[in-house]
Amino acid sequence: MHNTYKTNVEIDWCPGCGDFGILNALTLALQDLRIPNENVVLTGGIGCSSKIPHYVNVYALHTLHGRSLVQGEAVKMANPELEVISVSGDGDGLGIGSAHLVAAGRRNLDMTYMIFDNGVYGLTKGQASPTLPYKENIKSLETENIKFPVNPIFLALASGYTFVARSYSYNIKHLKETIERAIRHKGMALIDIMQPCVTYNNINTKEFYDKRLYDLEASGWNPVVNKGDDPSVKISQAVQRSMEWGDKIPMGVFIQYERETYAERLSTLIHGYGTRNMVKEPIDQNGKPVANIQEVMESFF
Amino acid sequence: MKKDLNLMVAGPQGSGINFTSDTFAKVMARQGYYVYTNAELFSTIKGDHSYFRVRVSDQKIESYSERVDILIPLDAKSVIIHKGEVSDDGMIISEEKVDDKRFATISYRKILESVATKFNKNVSELNVMKNTVSLAAALKIVGIESKNLKDVITENFASRKIIAEMNNAVVDEVYNEFSFNKTFSLPPVEKKKRMLINSAEAVGMGKVLAGMKFQSYYPITPASDESNYLETLMDKYGFVVEQTEDEIAAINMAIAAANTGLRSSTSTSGPGFDLMVEALSYSGMTETPVVIFYYQRAGPSTGMPTRHEQGDLKFATTASHGEFPRVILTPGDNTEAFYDAVDSFNIAEHYQLPVIVLLDKSMAMSNTTTEVFDLSGVRIDRGKLVLNETSNYKRYKLTEDGISPRTVPGVKGGIFTIAGDEHEEDGHIFSEDPDNRIIMMNKRMGKMNLILKEIGENKKVKFYGKPENKKVILSWGSPKGAIKDALESFPDISFLQVRMIEPFPSEEVMKYLKGKYVIDIEQNYSGQLADLLREKTGIVVDSRILKFNGRPMAYEELMDAIKKAQTEKKVVLSYA
Repeated sequence: MHNTYKTNVEIDWCPGCGDFGILNALTLALQDLRIPNENVVLTGGIGCSSKIPHYVNVYALHTLHGRSLVQGEAVKMANPELEVISVSGDGDGLGIGSAHLVAAGRRNLDMTYMIFDNGVYGLTKGQASPTLPYKENIKSLETENIKFPVNPIFLALASGYTFVARSYSYNIKHLKETIERAIRHKGMALIDIMQPCVTYNNINTKEFYDKRLYDLEASGWNPVVNKGDDPSVKISQAVQRSMEWGDKIPMGVFIQYERETYAERLSTLIHGYGTRNMVKEPIDQNGKPVANIQEVMESFF
Repeated sequence: MKKDLNLMVAGPQGSGINFTSDTFAKVMARQGYYVYTNAELFSTIKGDHSYFRVRVSDQKIESYSERVDILIPLDAKSVIIHKGEVSDDGMIISEEKVDDKRFATISYRKILESVATKFNKNVSELNVMKNTVSLAAALKIVGIESKNLKDVITENFASRKIIAEMNNAVVDEVYNEFSFNKTFSLPPVEKKKRMLINSAEAVGMGKVLAGMKFQSYYPITPASDESNYLETLMDKYGFVVEQTEDEIAAINMAIAAANTGLRSSTSTSGPGFDLMVEALSYSGMTETPVVIFYYQRAGPSTGMPTRHEQGDLKFATTASHGEFPRVILTPGDNTEAFYDAVDSFNIAEHYQLPVIVLLDKSMAMSNTTTEVFDLSGVRIDRGKLVLNETSNYKRYKLTEDGISPRTVPGVKGGIFTIAGDEHEEDGHIFSEDPDNRIIMMNKRMGKMNLILKEIGENKKVKFYGKPENKKVILSWGSPKGAIKDALESFPDISFLQVRMIEPFPSEEVMKYLKGKYVIDIEQNYSGQLADLLREKTGIVVDSRILKFNGRPMAYEELMDAIKKAQTEKKVVLSYA
C-alpha cells in the first residue's frame, strides 16, 4: 500500500542515520491506525530528529529547542479531538526541555512523546547529551564524558507517565508496534528510542545495541496494571527493570496503567470541556462578539 | 478645585488592611462617588508595613493625593510613619488618647466586648473585627448611613452568616457610641452604577468578550491577578486557563494553542517576559497571532516585585534576536485596557503577529470607579482564518498584503508546516535560498507599514487640551491619571498620550509635538519614551519628569514638577 504519510521533501539526515527507521515506523503506524492525515499534529523541537515534522504529511509544528512537548500538549488541550505526537532528541527533551518532560507527566494528556535517543547533540557536531553514559569518550568529544547520564525511563515513571516504553530504530517492527500501542493508550505515553548516530557516536552503534537489546515482554514482563489495582506496586518493579543497562538492555513497554487524563480533570473545572470543540465554536456572529459580559460587569457594582 | 476625601489604612501586611480599604471604597462608590485607590504593599504574606489609600470625590479622579484626611492605623508603627501626612484638620482613628486634636479615640475593646457578650463569644475571637470598628467610625464621620456599610458586609460574608451578623453588630455599636468634633462632608452626588475595578479585571472582561479560549500563565506579581480572575470565569464561558511549569511553557503553550485555532494569550511581568523572548521571536517568524499582557513592575532582576515602574518600554520594543513585526499597545486606564484586550486579538489575528499590551503594577492594583463599558462598537476580526476544507494550501503563500490564509489542524486539505527556521511558502526549511530570504523578510516586515496605514489615529495617540497650547506633555500608560488630574490647574498645557508604541506612530506624534515645548512624564529612570521619540522623529524633549522610587505619582507632586519643568530640564519625583 502506498504510504500517504510521507511528504516528498528531501531528507537531510546522514546516510544510515537511525532517524530513518523511526520515520518509517511512525508513518507505518499511522497508516495502520488509519488516522486521517489532517487530524494528526506532529511537533518537533530543534535538532536532527526534530526535523521529522517536515517529512510526515500531517499538520506539523517545528518549534523551538526543547519546546516540542509543551507545544504538543497545548495543541491537545486546545483541541482534544486531534491525535498529537511530539518528538524530541535526547538533548531537546532531557536537557533544555526537561522541565516540560516532568510537567507533562503531571498532566497526563492523551498523547505520545517519542525521544530519539542517541547520546549526542548531532546538529552541533556531537557534544555529549544527557543520556551519554559516564566516562564514554566517543569520537566527537575532546575529553571523556564526566557527567552521569539521566535515565529517561526512570524519569518518566517518576513523573507520572502512564505508558513508558523503550524501542529501537533498527527494529522497525517492534518500534511500529510500540508506537501504535502508545497512540492507542489513553494517557501520556513516552517512548525512548535507541537511535545510533552514525556520524558522532562510535560507541552506542547498531552493533552495540543489536547484541544487547532484548525483548522485555517476551521474557515474561507484563507491563499492564489491571484496572482498579494500585499502580505503585508495578511502578516500583518497573523502576527496577529500568535500571538494567550493560550487557543486557531491556526494550518494550515498562508500564501501562490508566489514570484520569488531563481532559477529564479539566472537564471537572470547565463544564463541557472535551465535548464541545473550542476551535469550531464561533466567537462572533457577523463580527459581533458572542460572549455576553453584562452580568460580569454588573458584579462590580 | 475638586472636593475630595482621602482615607489611608495602614498596618502590617495580612492584618486586614485591604478589607478595610476595599469596603470603604465600595461603600463610597455605591453612593455615586468617584473612587481611586492605591495599594502599597510589601513582597511578603504577613507582617511588613503596608498601606492603602482611597481617594473619593464628587467628580472624576484618576490618581491619589498626598493629603490624608482620615488615617486608620492598625498598629502603633503606622501612626509613627503616617501621622505627618494627615492634614491639620484630619483625623486619626485610635484606641489611645493622645494630646493631638487630630486623634479620634474609640474604645475597640469596649465595643468588641459588648458584641462578644451579645453573641456569647470570647472577646479574643472578635479581635479580627477591629478593622470593622475603624471602618464604621470613618464612614460615620463621612456621613454615610450604617445600612450602606452593613449591606456590603453582608454580601462579603454571604457564605458565613454569623460572621456578617457579628460585624454588623459592631457597626451598630460604633454608630451609637462614636462621635468626633469634625465631619468630612463631600458634596452630595446622584447615585450612579459604576464598576469598581482594576485593570487586571478590565483586561479579563475584555479577553472574555474577545472570545479568548486559552490563557496560560506562571504565577508572578503583579500579572497573576488577571489569570486568577479569569479562572473564576472559565467555567461560565468555556475557556482554559493553564498554570504552567514556567514562563517558557506559558508562551509556548499560548503559541501552540493559537496555531491550533484558539484566541490565545499569556500574562506576565518583567522577569517572566525575559524568559518568553525566544518564543516571542518564534511567533514573529511563524506569523502566529499570540497576545501577551505585560504588567511591568520595578526592576531590574527581582527588583521590587510589588512596586510600580514603567521600566520596560524599550525592552518590549526590541526584545529578541532578529527582526520581526510586533504591535505594542499602551493603555493608560481601565477603559483603555478593556478595549485594548479586544483589539489585541483582532490585530494579532488580522496581521498574524505577536501583540504585546503593556500595563503595570499601579494599573493592576488600583481600583477605580469605571463607567460600564459600551459594547455597541465592539467587533471581532479573525483575519484570514480558514476553518473549512481547502486545497493547494501553503501556510506562507505570498499575497498582495503579505498576509497568508491561515488554516488550523483538523481542516481537510489545509495541512501546514510551521517552522521557526526561515522557510518558503510551504513552510519547509531546506533551501535557505538568499532570494527567498529577502522575499520572506519583506513579507513579514511589510506588515508594519500596513498597520501604520490601517489603524486609526485614535488607537495610536490621544490628545487632550487646546491644540494651540505651546506646551505639550508627552506620556504613555498609567501616569495618564495623575497627569489629567494635575493638568486641571494648567489650561495652557496640552497632553499627548501615546497609545501604540510599536510600530511607532511618528506621523501623528510629530503632528502634535513639532515646534512645541515638550515635557516628557514617565515612571522610569531615563525617560524611555523621550529617547524613542528622538530615535523615531528627531524631536528632542525639553524637559523630563521622572519617578522611579517604586510608587506611582501623586497629582500634587506632579503639579509642582510641571511648574518646574517649564524651566528645568529634569525633575525627579520622590513622594511615597
